[in-house]
Amino acid sequence: MAKAIRSAACLLAIAAGTQACAKPIAFQDGWTAMAEAGTNTMRQAQLFYAPKFWWSGGVSYTKLMADDGSFQREISGVQVNYLVKRWNLPSAQGNVFAWGGVASARGFDSRGPFDGVAATQAGFQADYETRSVYASGKQEWFHSSRFSHGVSTVQLGLAPYEHDYDELATWFVLQLRHYQGGIAPGTTEAIPMLRLFKGNFWIEAGADRKGRAQVMVMMNF
Amino acid sequence: MNTMKMKVVLAIVCGSLAFAASARTVKMQVNGMVCAFCAQGIEKRLRSMASTQDVYVSLKDKVVAVALKDGQDIPDAALVSSMKEAGYDVTSVQRVDASLADIRKARGK
Repeated sequence: MAKAIRSAACLLAIAAGTQACAKPIAFQDGWTAMAEAGTNTMRQAQLFYAPKFWWSGGVSYTKLMADDGSFQREISGVQVNYLVKRWNLPSAQGNVFAWGGVASARGFDSRGPFDGVAATQAGFQADYETRSVYASGKQEWFHSSRFSHGVSTVQLGLAPYEHDYDELATWFVLQLRHYQGGIAPGTTEAIPMLRLFKGNFWIEAGADRKGRAQVMVMMNF
Repeated sequence: MNTMKMKVVLAIVCGSLAFAASARTVKMQVNGMVCAFCAQGIEKRLRSMASTQDVYVSLKDKVVAVALKDGQDIPDAALVSSMKEAGYDVTSVQRVDASLADIRKARGK
């Protein structure tokens, strides 16, 4: 039953994505390149182009690894992102994004190695941001005949000062992440991070209690 | 007589310089601008317009200002529409004589 619900959610997100589209979407006619190394359990790289501010499309690579080393999945595919809703307030902005895509997966698990397995990826994100407070919640799903995983991520950020357009932005961010599907059973990562961005370059980095690094870099152009 | 001519020429030259220095500027108040990373899109979009000489964005003042090239104009509706297509909402549009440098100097005041 749970598997059926996850599959339905994936299909819905994919359908939404192809109808219109959205994030990570920096701006119309802009490219977004992102790379993330999440402790020992997740690696991700994405490149998207946004023809409009409300949708983008591109390629995505995600590597998921069991905390105990018992399995590994590499999921490479295409993805469409869609801005479901944006709230432009005088001193804040809120967004809801959804995305979906198809992929090919390879890796290994207790049944042995596999390659060329069809997979789907989908997710959504809701965020709210002022120039001094930031909060976001994100849910990602990865599904195939060999695996079904979810990654739930919450970020809360505080800026020590309110930056302007031509200044360096500094944020203190707490990231909480929980994996579904046996990647890190029974644990929720809590990672304090420092985020810096200026111009078109963004970097955030931190470490969990075991000293494992979490790093994300992003560039818009 | 020569002194009189000199005065007239000087007046014309000074007047021309003053006119050139006071380039027309469109100042917009914008909702939703909280992130420098995202405001890049606004700047890129406005700079691509043929009549744009320069662009200034202030997150602090929620202002986007466009300096227009001499003798050129961009209708308010086109600017509002362009901002909407960039993903932001314009709440007011003003035509001002201040230069972008003046607006930048007044930031946060």
